[in-house]
Amino acid sequence: MNRYTKNKIVFWLFVAPALIAFIVVVIIPFFMGIYYSMTDWSAIAGEETTFIGLANYKEMFSDVAFRYSFLRTFLFTLFSVISVNIVSLMLALLVTRESKFRNIFRAGFFVPNLIGGLVLGYIWQFIFKSIVPSMGTVFNIPALENLLILAEPNLTLLGVIMAFTWQYAGYIMMIYVAALMNVPQDLVEASQIDGANFWNRLRNIIVPMIAPAFTVTTFLTLVNSFKQFDIIIALTSGGPATLYGDQVVNSTELLAVHIYNVAFTYNRMAEGQARAIIFFLVLSIVSLAQVYYNKKKEVEM
Amino acid sequence: MSKTRVIAVLIAMVLVFTIFSGCAKEEKSVVIYQNKVEINEQLTAFAAVYEAETGVKVIVKTAGGDTPYAENLKAEFQSDRQPEIFVVEGMGGYNTWKSKLAPYEGDEWIDLTALEFVVDGKVYGFPVAVEAWGMAYNVELLEKAGVDPATLTSQDAYAAAFAKIDGMKDELGIDSAVAMAAGPDMAWVTGLHNFNGYLSAGLELGDTAILDKLNKGEADVDRLTEYADWVELLFMYADEAVLLTGNYDAQVGQFATQKSVFIHQGNWIDPWLMDYLTDETMFDMAYAPHASVKGEHDAIFIGAPSFYVLNNESENLDEARAFLNYMATNAAGHNYMVNEAKMIPAFTNVTLIPNSPLSANVVKWLAKGKAGSYTWLQNDMPDGFGMGTIAPVYEIYAKGDITKAEFIAQLVDKIEALK
Repeated sequence: MNRYTKNKIVFWLFVAPALIAFIVVVIIPFFMGIYYSMTDWSAIAGEETTFIGLANYKEMFSDVAFRYSFLRTFLFTLFSVISVNIVSLMLALLVTRESKFRNIFRAGFFVPNLIGGLVLGYIWQFIFKSIVPSMGTVFNIPALENLLILAEPNLTLLGVIMAFTWQYAGYIMMIYVAALMNVPQDLVEASQIDGANFWNRLRNIIVPMIAPAFTVTTFLTLVNSFKQFDIIIALTSGGPATLYGDQVVNSTELLAVHIYNVAFTYNRMAEGQARAIIFFLVLSIVSLAQVYYNKKKEVEM
Repeated sequence: MSKTRVIAVLIAMVLVFTIFSGCAKEEKSVVIYQNKVEINEQLTAFAAVYEAETGVKVIVKTAGGDTPYAENLKAEFQSDRQPEIFVVEGMGGYNTWKSKLAPYEGDEWIDLTALEFVVDGKVYGFPVAVEAWGMAYNVELLEKAGVDPATLTSQDAYAAAFAKIDGMKDELGIDSAVAMAAGPDMAWVTGLHNFNGYLSAGLELGDTAILDKLNKGEADVDRLTEYADWVELLFMYADEAVLLTGNYDAQVGQFATQKSVFIHQGNWIDPWLMDYLTDETMFDMAYAPHASVKGEHDAIFIGAPSFYVLNNESENLDEARAFLNYMATNAAGHNYMVNEAKMIPAFTNVTLIPNSPLSANVVKWLAKGKAGSYTWLQNDMPDGFGMGTIAPVYEIYAKGDITKAEFIAQLVDKIEALK
C-alpha cells in the first residue's frame, strides 16, 4: 500500500461514522419520504401500500385549509422575523452599554429561551386568559376586562408572535451582542468626535458593521418561525376558528401544525408526508434566497 | 497505519454494530399497552397482585392522551415491540387495526356485560370501563332555583329552566346557567360528545341509523335542525369566556366553584372535583336526561370509551385472555376497577359502588338498563371528523360569526363531504 492509498483509507475511516449516520438518519428517510408521499401509506404494520402517483399533491393544493395555512404561516413568519430582530437588536444595544448589571440583564433576557415552548405556551395562555382581564378589572377598563384575545383570529396570531418573540429574542440578542462587541471602537470614537449623534452612528457605522450578524439572525428567526409548532400547540391548539371565504378554518394552524393534524388527527399519513415535502421545498427556497440577499449586503473591512 | 490496525478498527466497528442490533429475548409475559395515564399506577399494582397469584408477569406500558397514544402504538408495532393487549376506541380504531386483531371466544366475562365491542358477530373488545356524560346539575342550586330535575325531559323544559335560572343569576351567585366550552382546547366536547346528541339521542340503544347515513355522506337535515336548537340553547346560556376560550379547568372549575347550575360533561370529571373540593365544599350532583333533539327523553349517554383488544401475532394470547378474565371475574379485579382506579366496571357481577359523586349517579342510570342509555357513537365517525372538521364550526357559531341556519348548512356540507 502506498502512502496515497493509506491516506485515502484513513480519510474514509474518519469520515465513515458521520457519513453513515447522516445517510441512515437523513438521506435514506428523505428519499423514503418522497416515495411515501406518492403512496397511500397508513403507517400500520402489515397494511399494503400502493403507489398512487401525484394524487396526494393534487389533493393538497385543492385543500382550502392548506392554502390558508400557508398564507398564515407567511404572515406569521414575516411579522415575527421583524419583531424578533427589532426587539433583540434593542436589547443587544442596551446590554452592551456601560452598566453595572449588564451581565445580569444579558442572562435575564436569555432565560426565556431556556423554557420549553410548551411550558411557555401555557404561561402565555394564562397571561392572555387571566392576567389581561384582571388587569382590566384593576384599572377599571371594561374593554380590557371583557377582551378574549384567544377568541379573535388576528389578536391570537399577534399573541403567538409575542410569545415567540419573548422566547427567541434573548437568543438572537446574544448573536447581536457578539457582533456589537466586534465593531471597531476607533470608528465609533472618530464618529463621536465628528459630532455624529446616536442615530447617525447606528445607521452609518453599527448596522453596516454587524451586517453578517443580520444574515445569521434573519436566517435563524425565519426558519424557526416557519417551523413553529410547540408554542402554538400549547397556546392556541391551532384555534380560534374563523371563516375564510365560506370555509371554516383554524386561524393559527400554521404549516407544521397543519401537517401534524393531517397525518395524525385525520390519520392520512401519506398526505401529511406530501405536505411536509412541499413545506421543506418552500422553506429551503425562501431561506436560501434570504441568505443570498443578505450576503450581498455585507461589507468587508 | 499497518494492515492489522485497519482490520482491528473494522472489527471494532462490526462489534459496535452487533451491540446495537443485538437484543435479549424476553420471558413469557403479557404486555398491556394502554392509554389512561391516570390508572397507570393502579393497573401496575393490580398486575403485581396478579403475578403473585398466578405467576404470569404482566407488564403495563402507558402512553397518555388520545393522539399520542395512536402514534406511539404505531411506533410499537413498527419496532416489533408488539404488545399482547392494546386499546382501541371504537370503529375508527377497529378499521385502523383490524388486520392485527384476534377475537375473544368463550371468555367468561362476555356473558357478564352488554358493552363488549362486537363486529360481525365476533367479540373483539373488552370494555375498559363505563363512562357517561350529559347534563350534570348541582342539586342544591337547582332546588333553590325552583326547578324540579324530573321535569327536564325535553328541549322546551330545558329552555324554560335555563331562562328562569338566567333571571336569578345574582340570587344563585352564578355566572351562567350552564358551564359549556367550545374553544379550540375543547374540540372533543363539541365535535364528539355534543355531536353525539345528533347521532344517538332519542334512538334505541345500539341504533346506528344516523351514524351509518353520516358515514355514507348523508345528513338528516330535519334532525340537524332540531339538534341545532339544542346547541343554540347551550351556547346562549353559557358564560362567554368559558365558552369561547375556556379549557377543561375553566369549564369544570366553573361548576366546581358553584358558578353554574349545569355542566355539559362526563363522570370523568370526578377525580378533578374530588381533588378540588373538600368534605365541606362538596355538593350533591346528578345527571338530568339529555334532550339534544325534540321529543321526551329519559336517558344519558352511557358507553365504554375504550376496549382492550388482542394482538393476533402475539404468542401469549391465552395468558392475555386469562388476565382480562381474572380482572372481570375476581374480587381483586373488582376492587382494582372500582376502589383503586375509580372506574365504573361494565360487568353485572360487580357489586361495589364507586364513592365519587357523578359515577355513583351513573350507576343508577346504568341500573335502568337499555331505557336509561343512549349509544356512544362519536368514536365511530371517520378519523378527525369530530374534533378536526366540525369542532371549528361550533366554535365560530359560538362566537356568533355565523347564524343558526349557516351552522346547519356548514354541518350538512361537512357531512356530505364524507361521501
